[in-house]
Amino acid sequence: MAAMTERISSVLARVPRGVYMALAVVLAAGFPLLNVIGVVETAWLRVGVMSLLFVMLALGLNIVMGETGLLNLGYIAFFAFGAYTTALLSSPKFELRWPFLAVVVVSTLIAMLAGFVIGLPTLRLRGDYLAIVTLAFGEIVRLTIINLQGFTNGPNGITGIYSPLLAGGSEVKTGLAAWLTVDKPIEYYYLVLVAVVVVSILLANLKNSRVGRAWNALREDELAAISSGITASRAKMLSVVLSAGIAGFAGSLYAYYSNVISPESFLFMQSVIVVCMVVLGGMGSIPGVVVGAIVLQALPQVIRQAAGAARSDFEVYRMLIFGVLIVVMVIFRPEGLLPDKLWRRESHEVDPRELEKTRQSLFDLEEGEKDLEV
Amino acid sequence: MSLDHIVSVTIGGLTVGMIYALIALGYTMVYGVLKFINFAHGEVFTIGGYVAAFTLLGLGVNDDMSPLVLAGCVVLALLAAVLVPMAIGFLIERIAYRPLRGRSRIIPLLSAIGVSIVMQQLIILVFGPAPVSMPSLAVGSASFVVFGIRIRVLALVIIAVSSALMLGLTYLVKSTRIGKAMRATSQDMEAAEMMGIDTNKTIAFTFVVGSALAGIGGFLVVMYYGSLKYDAGFLYGLKAFTSAVLGGIGNIPGAVVGAIVLGMTETYGVSLDLGFMAWFVVAGLILGLYVQMVRVPRRRLQHIADDRRTPAYEKSITDVYRLTPYYGFKTLLAERTDALLSVSAAHAVRLMFGNLFLAVVAAVMFANASVRIDTRWQPVIAFVVLMVILMFRPSGILGEAITEKV
Amino acid sequence: MTKGARMLHERTRKVLALALAAILAFGLFGTAGCTEDGEGDGGEATEGDVEIIKIGVQTALTGPLPDYGEAAKRGAELALEDFGTFEMDGKTYQVELVVLDDKAEPAESAVVAQTMVDEGVVGVIGSLTTGATLSAIPIYAENRIPQISGSVTGPKANAEGVDTFYRTCWSDAIQGEALAAWALELDAKKVVLMDDNGAYAVGLADVAEAALKAEGVETLRQNCQSGDKDLSAQVANVKEFGPDAIIFTGYHPEAGLMRKQMLEAGLADVIFMGGDGIKSAELIAQTGGVENAEGIYATFGGFPEDQQPGYEAFAAKYEEKYGDAVGPYAQNNYDAFGALIAAIKAAGSTDTEDIIAALRELEYEGVTGTFSFASEADGAVSVGDIVVAGLTPSNVPRYVVEGGEFVAVK
Repeated sequence: MAAMTERISSVLARVPRGVYMALAVVLAAGFPLLNVIGVVETAWLRVGVMSLLFVMLALGLNIVMGETGLLNLGYIAFFAFGAYTTALLSSPKFELRWPFLAVVVVSTLIAMLAGFVIGLPTLRLRGDYLAIVTLAFGEIVRLTIINLQGFTNGPNGITGIYSPLLAGGSEVKTGLAAWLTVDKPIEYYYLVLVAVVVVSILLANLKNSRVGRAWNALREDELAAISSGITASRAKMLSVVLSAGIAGFAGSLYAYYSNVISPESFLFMQSVIVVCMVVLGGMGSIPGVVVGAIVLQALPQVIRQAAGAARSDFEVYRMLIFGVLIVVMVIFRPEGLLPDKLWRRESHEVDPRELEKTRQSLFDLEEGEKDLEV
Repeated sequence: MSLDHIVSVTIGGLTVGMIYALIALGYTMVYGVLKFINFAHGEVFTIGGYVAAFTLLGLGVNDDMSPLVLAGCVVLALLAAVLVPMAIGFLIERIAYRPLRGRSRIIPLLSAIGVSIVMQQLIILVFGPAPVSMPSLAVGSASFVVFGIRIRVLALVIIAVSSALMLGLTYLVKSTRIGKAMRATSQDMEAAEMMGIDTNKTIAFTFVVGSALAGIGGFLVVMYYGSLKYDAGFLYGLKAFTSAVLGGIGNIPGAVVGAIVLGMTETYGVSLDLGFMAWFVVAGLILGLYVQMVRVPRRRLQHIADDRRTPAYEKSITDVYRLTPYYGFKTLLAERTDALLSVSAAHAVRLMFGNLFLAVVAAVMFANASVRIDTRWQPVIAFVVLMVILMFRPSGILGEAITEKV
Repeated sequence: MTKGARMLHERTRKVLALALAAILAFGLFGTAGCTEDGEGDGGEATEGDVEIIKIGVQTALTGPLPDYGEAAKRGAELALEDFGTFEMDGKTYQVELVVLDDKAEPAESAVVAQTMVDEGVVGVIGSLTTGATLSAIPIYAENRIPQISGSVTGPKANAEGVDTFYRTCWSDAIQGEALAAWALELDAKKVVLMDDNGAYAVGLADVAEAALKAEGVETLRQNCQSGDKDLSAQVANVKEFGPDAIIFTGYHPEAGLMRKQMLEAGLADVIFMGGDGIKSAELIAQTGGVENAEGIYATFGGFPEDQQPGYEAFAAKYEEKYGDAVGPYAQNNYDAFGALIAAIKAAGSTDTEDIIAALRELEYEGVTGTFSFASEADGAVSVGDIVVAGLTPSNVPRYVVEGGEFVAVK
């Protein structure tokens, strides 16, 4: 049994990673077709869009949390920056309707600016203090949104956000312009999917670049990293600003998609849920984070449907499972479901399998004699 | 704004602060020993409050009971509110924190967040999502009037209990055997183990004591406000943490000082005129100037006398510094300036801007003397205090408890 | 690492793996079950000469107010039994309900509204709460789907001039004006208005404050947060202001605390008033005892049951079907459904544009009384607000706590 699973996993490990990625993209792109042919309800397409948005959020948080090793407990605030910028630039609130691309770019930049401003004074703090400061920042942003009623409509939120026009900036809904308007779930699904794919390719490349290595070095041992010539403050700031930008991008798409945003979508718990996704999937591992986000966003919906919609304590059990999941993962499998190579090496001082392999090659022992005292 | 108003606001702020202090003591103690933010501490507090409330409700207390029986019930509730959190604190440490000892700082913090979520949901499952409310007892709402200001007896009890616990804890840590073990564990766990200290037991003890303190806090809050909601622990926990950091985390008297400052800031912030609060800013400015111009230079003088001038020191003297107000001021007073000059240029500029900022803030506040900050900003105050203190003085007002390592 | 520890570690890992596999398997079963359940026919279907039309019920079955959500759903279900099948132009129409849960969350509500549009409903009953409705309104308005809520009382809900939103319950604006009128009748010269920073409370307080200011009353605005425990700063501010009355527009948990802490600060002679958010038996517990709650005034957004013409028959039907006492706003939702069907009949078509036009002209005799919908904005009244014949701010139902319960003020 054990030997067989070992063999299967070794075969699976030999398949190039590109194949898996391509497979995942094809699966994701094919999913809406199930809706088109009527196998799956449109509601599931919406679950899909939300899952993809959370994938993007988790990918963004993974940069600071997984790659650089800085815990951010107010990550949802950057999402809020992106969402509110979009809502203000493309809704009846100030009677603006900027073109889609401009809005997305401005939203991303505003979120990045927020990341820069908050990063400037806080990044020199040590890990746990940084986590708490970011938590406070997230709450301040949310409470300020509630209180600035003239600007954000306070607790009522901003409603009637226009659908994105991929071309032109006018209200016209005919011909090509209508064709390029995104307002059906399936269109949003593909829009967000493209964004997710672009972001993950970008991040995968970044991970193996100088910058990515600098981040990992800072995570492993800040002192050693600095003495080998890495400018810690610049590298950290880059990771914070980049992750904020991705959250702002996701927030912008979210605002377009949901038509309405209100402060209740940006609670502390949302930040924790994104953290949970990264921990579950595997800190620092892009495929892991994607899987973590999809599992934690889509699975509760599936179970909710299976258990019947009217269970009022569903939310309680969902959060309960999230909490247990964090504790269990952190204790038993801190490297996550689909771990990053480096993290696996770090999180258990000695990987028993690794050790076993070495020993086997050294002494060429029989199956039963493996358990030598080390 | 009458004196009456100021005094009653002050008493309100003091009471709130003392409640934060009860929770902050547990926070700071655990941090002092383990260097670990026990995020679930707030939930332990909530459980204490719920257990106390349900014990009292279960016993059916009311004012018709004889005082002796009533006192018995209250003691029973207090006992429950201490014992249950103690057990929970012990279990949490054993299950969720001990396996993670020695890992980087954020890993146990993650686990603590997980525990906090789990406990919140468990409270809902066990006690229901509706806030628990207590029957009001004559004892609980008794009050007396001094100089026209009504003061609740329970507020005085809370202040007394917090102060007593602070003294007790200080004694425990400073002068008892287990306290010594705690300090040793905090300084160097390995060395402590080699000296024959059972660090596991010591840490478990710390958690149990901290949880008991949170339980007492929960009990007093339920008695004082008469109700508690399942998610109250999150905000109370954060405010207690803010207090602990404000006073200097790991520092037991600091937790109480920080809690009082936070409670006062929260209450004063939204109920006093800006013109009145501006005096606090002025006081801060004067204090800052005193420290920067008298205390620090004196220390530096000593330092220079010891060390002589170094090349680095020479380099730090720049023209920028000569632009700062201190330079002129000190020259005017014809005092020795070389000691001050050891301040680096960047630092001098920072100080100067800091003081200018405070002065401008005070001026703006005086200009809008009769304006008051809207009460809707009250919840923001604690978070802003937390951010500001962590960004500018993470060691807190009284300074972090420093463990001397040689 | 010792051998024993490693084996333990391996074992826990295996258990973990098994547990995860079990969860995943459960999840897969769940999906399989779901896709089988869903009959994705959509749109209008014809069986013989019976035409099926869909009407949506958007409510909150989970979230903070499950009992309200359940009552709203039941109201609509009862109405379905009574009005669900009707004849029009020689054809028989059969209504099918599409019940969706928005958890009373604005974001979820937008998703639900979109789903309703996808389902092709001709009208929607709901949503339950003001916050959730605000986010659904633009979506229904854009897709021209009439929406009738039986429980949304927030005045801002339809302030933006949409013509697809209607309601069969009273707008908070009526209560806000009523509270102001009541305070004036009680001869209050200085009044504190306090809200909990939520959409409902802020809306109500804004209306009341404007009405009081117009009469030259000196006002002070205070806030708290839902979930606050310590209100000493607010109490001190109130005490310093020295008001004759305080109008607390939030909900009962904070109202109870505020009342309690005001009494403790010696402000017993300040009249304590509030809207329907505090008119709950829970309030008495939250103030810490019967004597503390004594003399609290509250208005309510609807006539008392014994003054509603069809209530008795409705309650009998409700109790027979569900074996439960009538839940909050159930009869308003029943009327909402009835009014929608009446509008379809009056329009003589199932085209949503015709239904919207018919709703504006409609005068409907329902369980709660005879009402129509405002077709144009007038002061605090917006398009789609219920217009109840003969209702003025001073005959809005008033209650006072006496002996531990709310009793009507004559």
